[in-house]
Amino acid sequence: MKGNLKNEEQLLKEIVSNYNVEGKIQREKRVWINTDKENLISICKFAKEKGFEHLSSISVTDWIKEGEYEITYHLWSYEKKVLLTIKIRISRKNPSAPSVSSIWDRNAQIHEREMHEMFGVEFKGNDDLAPLFLDDWQGLPPFRKDFDWREYVKKEFYNKDNEREVVYRE
Amino acid sequence: MNNQVLLEPIGKDEYELFFGPAHPGSGNFSVKLKVDGEIVTSARANPGYLHRGFEKLMEYRLPIQNAVLSDRICILESLNWNLIHAEAVDELMGIEIPERAKYIRVILAELSRIQSHIIWFGVFSIGIGFDTGFKMAFGYRDYILDLFEMITGGRVYSAGYICPGGVRRDLPKGAEEKILNVLDKINEMVKLEEMGNPALSARAKGVGVLKLEDAIRLGATGPLLRAAGMRVDVRKEDPYEVYDKLDFDIPVRKEGDAYARYMIGIEEIKQSMKIVKQALKDMPKGEHIAPQFKKPKLNMKIPEGEVYVRNEGGRGEVAIHMVSDGSAEPYRVKIRGPSFLHMISVLEFLLKGVQIADVPAVYWSLNICPADLDR
Repeated sequence: MKGNLKNEEQLLKEIVSNYNVEGKIQREKRVWINTDKENLISICKFAKEKGFEHLSSISVTDWIKEGEYEITYHLWSYEKKVLLTIKIRISRKNPSAPSVSSIWDRNAQIHEREMHEMFGVEFKGNDDLAPLFLDDWQGLPPFRKDFDWREYVKKEFYNKDNEREVVYRE
Repeated sequence: MNNQVLLEPIGKDEYELFFGPAHPGSGNFSVKLKVDGEIVTSARANPGYLHRGFEKLMEYRLPIQNAVLSDRICILESLNWNLIHAEAVDELMGIEIPERAKYIRVILAELSRIQSHIIWFGVFSIGIGFDTGFKMAFGYRDYILDLFEMITGGRVYSAGYICPGGVRRDLPKGAEEKILNVLDKINEMVKLEEMGNPALSARAKGVGVLKLEDAIRLGATGPLLRAAGMRVDVRKEDPYEVYDKLDFDIPVRKEGDAYARYMIGIEEIKQSMKIVKQALKDMPKGEHIAPQFKKPKLNMKIPEGEVYVRNEGGRGEVAIHMVSDGSAEPYRVKIRGPSFLHMISVLEFLLKGVQIADVPAVYWSLNICPADLDR
């Protein structure tokens, strides 16, 4: 870790003291916060007020062994020039999380729409979760760890009677 | 240009019109427009024609394989995506990159940016019916592709040239001189662009105005934000490689219309040329790849952890969130492409209320790429 971490330390201190959450400074310009879904909206509102105007992306990680999804919100402040990442964990059964589209508007709405399609996470309060990339998809949300695309491709796209394709099926 | 148009009445005086995916100027992407006479009343983006699921594919492969995969994310600026993937793995594994490799990475990323901006100029020209601009742009772009062929071995896809640990090979003999010669050629092109074609400025001025507050709200980054009046650039704010040692400016304009974005593109080509020249001058001698990657081991484990790396791509902010659980393959890779928001939220917003004839002008002025939207 190098350079001046004053901005990062101050930010972390403010959030930790106000919301009683864990956090760490990974390196210059990177602050990571762990919280739960009850606190999410109030922390996000606080971050937006502190100048985190840009929601860089929302990502979901499927921790299948623990039976949990981890949702990460990557926020960038043009003013402070710091990236704040907020992480929450939700259950894999009936996964749902509050939507941050009331805070970051269309930007958040579209990120959530993608994550809903790929992981099946329900974002409560997001009014448009229509499919984005996949047309008429009926199966498991495809980015989940228990969706095996290799099996799917073998089953759906290879012709059993064609001996030239045997090599791909095995 | 409207030979692929599909018209369907949906109400009194209102029609549904498809722009793309077979439209000659739309790329692998389509927008459903609702039009009232000549005016677009609402637009809805319909992506997915290029969805290849890179995020999932990368979970099954080693970083050395993913390096090759990563340049397919965006066809038009493969080296920038190569670079960010390599940076994510470098940071997770804590690898020290040799100084020379950093300079080579910067040179290639900037050449890639110039080449992508030239395409931007080309497709924007053809979108508004200025065919000469298109031919000019693609002609000059080939000089840079020749350089890529000489350095990386591939003209469009660099096949993982920028790999974890550094770059695959050192610059070949005489490369510096050739790069400088090509920059002279690009300078010619920039002069032609700057002449200000009257047809181009008449079609672009005042079209697709994106105000700063809307740009921030809709998640616009890169050239779009700079054309709307904000001095932002990831290379300056969140520096990576050796950008903090190089001297360059961030061009800004206030108007926020298609013409301003086009002018920003020209200015950025000039700045990128400046960076390449500096990097060539300052580049030290030495190794081009970290010692542990000289002979890549296939079962090299990635330490547990997660990183979020951001770069300034030609089209805006590109980022990768990489999570590792300690095995050889990454556990999760989230790829953030700039076009994801530019082509959905920004485009839908800007198309509302424009004339049908201005749709391609707005569309191509956003410097977009369906490939990095769909991933």
